[in-house]
Amino acid sequence: MDAETSQDFIPAGLAALRIEADEIELAVMGAAHQLFWPPILELLSLDTSAIPVERNPDLSQAPPSR
Amino acid sequence: MSEALDLPLREQAAAIAAGEVDAAELLEATLGRIEERNPALNAVVETFPERSREMLAAAPPGPLHGVPVVIKDEWPLPWRAQRFGAADMIAAAEPGESGPYRALRDAGAVVVGVGNMHELGASSTGNVSVYGPARNPWNPERCPGGSSSGPAAAVAARLVAGAVGADGIGSIRYPAAYCGLTGLKPTFGRAAMAGHHMAELSTTIVSGALCADAADCRLLDSVLFGEQLAAGRPPALRIGVIRDEVSEDIAPTVREACEAAIEDLREATGGEVREIELPELAAATLATVLIANSESLGGITPQRLNQLDPELSPLGRGLLKYRVLLPAVATIKAGQLRTLARHTLAAVFEQVDVIAWPTVPAMAPPLEAPIVELPSGTLTADEANVRGGALANLTGIPAISVPVGSSEGLPIGLQLQAAWGRDELLLDAAEALEGANGRRWVEAVPPPARGAEPLEA
Repeated sequence: MDAETSQDFIPAGLAALRIEADEIELAVMGAAHQLFWPPILELLSLDTSAIPVERNPDLSQAPPSR
Repeated sequence: MSEALDLPLREQAAAIAAGEVDAAELLEATLGRIEERNPALNAVVETFPERSREMLAAAPPGPLHGVPVVIKDEWPLPWRAQRFGAADMIAAAEPGESGPYRALRDAGAVVVGVGNMHELGASSTGNVSVYGPARNPWNPERCPGGSSSGPAAAVAARLVAGAVGADGIGSIRYPAAYCGLTGLKPTFGRAAMAGHHMAELSTTIVSGALCADAADCRLLDSVLFGEQLAAGRPPALRIGVIRDEVSEDIAPTVREACEAAIEDLREATGGEVREIELPELAAATLATVLIANSESLGGITPQRLNQLDPELSPLGRGLLKYRVLLPAVATIKAGQLRTLARHTLAAVFEQVDVIAWPTVPAMAPPLEAPIVELPSGTLTADEANVRGGALANLTGIPAISVPVGSSEGLPIGLQLQAAWGRDELLLDAAEALEGANGRRWVEAVPPPARGAEPLEA
């Protein structure tokens, strides 16, 4: 991820949601973006259409057999 | 009374039940010890002697009758709302009877203090809190782990013999590893959760015990589960290990201690070590963060984010605001990865009984700069720790951290994970491991618990 992505994404997102942020908060957000955004892009690019949906999974148990 | 203070949780309970220790004297001695040792640790952020005395006076007979315990600042008490380690916890909080509080009260336990925690439960380090950071009793300049930082530091320094924490992404296991304790993250849904401000939204958070050893965890977790967790000799364990790039990215001393412990466990149970594959492991980490993140934002509005308490740390404020920008489709895909990971794990647990890897890849980092050196380079402790902690929360399986070594005076923890509902197996395996190493690591105590000079914070 290049720095420009964060320069665009964060201010644009904040403006769209009308969220204010000071310089320190923006710096924190920029650092978080550098950490999270590349793997998020990878995740978004995954074709997950073949993965069955487990509706309201009961996390206390193993999933039902496929 | 000093001897009673240093007894394991189960022995304190037994001694009170046998009339060998007076519970009122134990309570006063515990309060005295907190007063003496806590200033250097900041593990306990509030005591309430009169409330504790009232609790003791009304304590019913039970498995923890008269035993003092600490509870994390994540749970409300009838006389105190939780603060979640934060000046602004975003959600509404009121005093009340949380599930863990009720379980403790009904077991006869005495809540003697509230344990510090990382702000908003948002880190594995414990170095940021509205109360100031808790400190690691093994070295006060090091992180105690988070987010259950105070409960862990309190037990490690023997302020109390047991504490209740919570684990949303490793938050019991990380501090257990950093402080040399045993900490169980129960199967999702097994331990008391009522009254948690995210109980209705969260699919990752559980309550659980932090204690010196597995037998104490078994006792305290039995109370939190509302059922007796039976003890037994583990079968010949089939121990699964992973050998991939990320799983191998471990500090050499941690790797050596954990590999030796795995071999000890194999030998002690007459079992075997099998290599397994979890191809979703790396993606599971991000998936867990995304799911836990979206669940924690259920009550957030942009307006609310513009009115955060200025005393909330800049890190906390910035991360909260960043989180709302993340695309919803990423969380949907994270849910699909959760399904995939659960199916993969179900298949893996046909082949092995437990999966073993280091709880955290390096020892406790400095409070002032929580970064760790790994073979791959320098990482933030959070970035490194979440790799090993997230899977159990994503999928719901139980996991335990067991102390298995020490380096540079800092503890090392091994994590064992088992299939859904096999919490008892993890406790059995932990006890087998303790036996195999002569209980060396569960009986190791840090300087303040050895009567050494008070720590200089």
